[in-house]
Amino acid sequence: MNELLRAEGIEKSFGATRVLRGITLSVGRGERVGLLGPNGAGKTMLANILSGLTPPDRGRILFDGREITRMPMDARFRAGLARTFQIPGPYPSLTVLDSVRVAMLAGRPGRSAERGGERLEEDLEAVLVRTGLFGQRYWPAAKLSQGCLRRLEFARAISCRPRLILLDEIFSALSVKDEGDLSGLLRSLHGEDGISFLLISHNPLILEQMCDRVVAIEDGRVAWEGKPADLPEVLPWAAGHGHAS
Amino acid sequence: MSAPRKPGSPPYRAATGVLALGAGLLLFLPLAGLDRFFLDILTVGFLLAAFAGSWDIVGGLAGQVSLGHALFFGIATYACALLTSLAGWPFPAAAAAALLLCAGAGAAVGALAARLTGPFVALFTLALGELAHEAVLGQTFFSPRGGYSWGGEGGIPVALPWRDLSPWASYYGALAFLLLSTGLMLRIARSERGLFWAAISGSELTARASGVDVSRYKTEAFLIGGLLAGAAGVGFAAHVGRATAADLSLELSFQAATFAAIGGRGTVAGPVAAALLLHVLFQGSGLGPAARVLLYASALLLVLRFFPSGIAGTLRERARARRMGGGGTP
Repeated sequence: MNELLRAEGIEKSFGATRVLRGITLSVGRGERVGLLGPNGAGKTMLANILSGLTPPDRGRILFDGREITRMPMDARFRAGLARTFQIPGPYPSLTVLDSVRVAMLAGRPGRSAERGGERLEEDLEAVLVRTGLFGQRYWPAAKLSQGCLRRLEFARAISCRPRLILLDEIFSALSVKDEGDLSGLLRSLHGEDGISFLLISHNPLILEQMCDRVVAIEDGRVAWEGKPADLPEVLPWAAGHGHAS
Repeated sequence: MSAPRKPGSPPYRAATGVLALGAGLLLFLPLAGLDRFFLDILTVGFLLAAFAGSWDIVGGLAGQVSLGHALFFGIATYACALLTSLAGWPFPAAAAAALLLCAGAGAAVGALAARLTGPFVALFTLALGELAHEAVLGQTFFSPRGGYSWGGEGGIPVALPWRDLSPWASYYGALAFLLLSTGLMLRIARSERGLFWAAISGSELTARASGVDVSRYKTEAFLIGGLLAGAAGVGFAAHVGRATAADLSLELSFQAATFAAIGGRGTVAGPVAAALLLHVLFQGSGLGPAARVLLYASALLLVLRFFPSGIAGTLRERARARRMGGGGTP
C-alpha cells in the first residue's frame, strides 16, 4: 500500500519529561489506522505534531511524499491533512453554516471556480446533509449539543475534501445514537471517498470495529503494531481492563 | 460576531434601513437651525464614531481587544502637524503621508500582536499607546518661526490651506467621511475576510485547523483598523487644526472600547451609533469631563445589564433566536 503519511523518529520533551521517544508510524492511502494507548501515552501530542500544532524536537513528517515537518497547521489543512479535536472548539457566534463555510473557503485557496457562489453553496449543503446538520444550519454553534458539535468538527474537517483525517477521541462522551451515526459516516467517507484515517482512542473496542491496522503506544514509544483482532492477547492494558475507561 | 451573510436577509435589510434613516436625518439636521456649537459637537462626533468603528474592526470583528488604538489616531494628527508646520508640506500631501504611516504602523503592530492572544494583546497595545503618549507629552521645543513653545500638552499646530472654514463645510465633510467609512467597514465585515476574523475571534485554534492563516488575518485587521483610525485622525487634524497629546491618550482608546461594548462588539454599526449618540448627548449637555466619565460608566453598566452583548449585538442574537424558534429558516 502506498504511504500517504509517514512520521519518522518523532521525539518531544518538556524539560526532563520525554513525551515521545522516537515514534515512527505510517498511514497508507485509503487505510484506517488506529492509534491506541493508555491516558498519558502521548497520543494527543503525536496528533498535535502530525497536524502541525506543535513542532517536534526531532524527526520528520512526510505527507504524500513531501516533507511537512515545519509546515504550519493551516497549510497542512489546505494540503489535505485535516484533524478534529478531542474537545471541539466551535466559533460561538457563527452559525453552523458559516462555521463550515470558513473551512471551505480557507481550504480552497486562490480564486478557483470551486470558491464561487453557487458551487460553494451546493458543496456546503452537501457537507451539511451528509453530517446530519442541515436542519441546524442557521443555529449558532454555541447552542449545539455535544453530538452535534462532533458532527460540526467532522463537517469542518471534510469540507476541503481531505486525503487524511486525524480523529482525536471522536467517540468520547457521545450517546449511542450519535456514536452509531458517526461510525456510519466514517465508513462512508472511507468507502465512498477513499479518505484515510488515523483514529486516536484509548478504547480498543472502537478500533477493532473501525480500523484496518492498530499502532499501540506506551510511554512515548510504539509498543505494538498489527491487526486489531490480535490486540487483547498482546497488550494486557488494551484488553479493556483498567485503562479503557 | 459575524454579520448575516445574505444581503437580502431581513436583519440586513433592517440594519440598512436604520442606517439610511439615520444618514437622511443627519443630512438635513443643520437645516433645523443648529448653531456653530452644536455643529462642532456633531462634526467631532462623526469623526469619533468613525474612530470607534475602526476599533471594532480590530477589537470586535477580529477579537483582538486593543487598548492602544489611539496610537493610530495620534500618529495621523502628529504627522499632519509636523509635516505641514515643520516640513512645510501642503496639507493634502501630509494627509496622504499620515495615512501611509498609519497603515504601516498598523501592519507592524499587527505583525507583533499576531503572536499574542487574549489579554496579552490588550497589554501590548496599551504599552505601545502609552509609550507614544508619554513621548509626545515630554517633548517641547520652539517653533522655527516666531519662537512659540510647541509640543507637550499644548501640541503642535497643523498648517491648513484654509482660514475659518465654514462649520457647515466641516459638518458635511465629516458626515461624508463617516458614511463612506462605515459603508466600507460594513462591506469588509460581510466579506470573506470578515468571516475569517469572526472565526479567529471565536477560536484561533479551530480557525487554524480550518485552514485560516491566523497571523495574516490578524495583521490585516490591525492594518485596516489602523488605516481607518488614521483617516479619522486626519479629519480631526483638519477640523481642529492642532495635534495634542490627548490624541494619543489612553482615555481615547478606552472610549472607543466603551462605545463598542455599548453598541455591540463586532457589529460596526452599533459602536458607530453609540459613539455618535453618547458624544452628542454628553458633550452637548455642557457637563464637565469628570461628570461625562461618570455618565459613560453608568451608560456602560446599564447597557450591559440589559444587553450583555451590547445593544446591536443583543438585538441580533434575539433575532437569530427567533429564527431558530421558527424552524431554523434564514
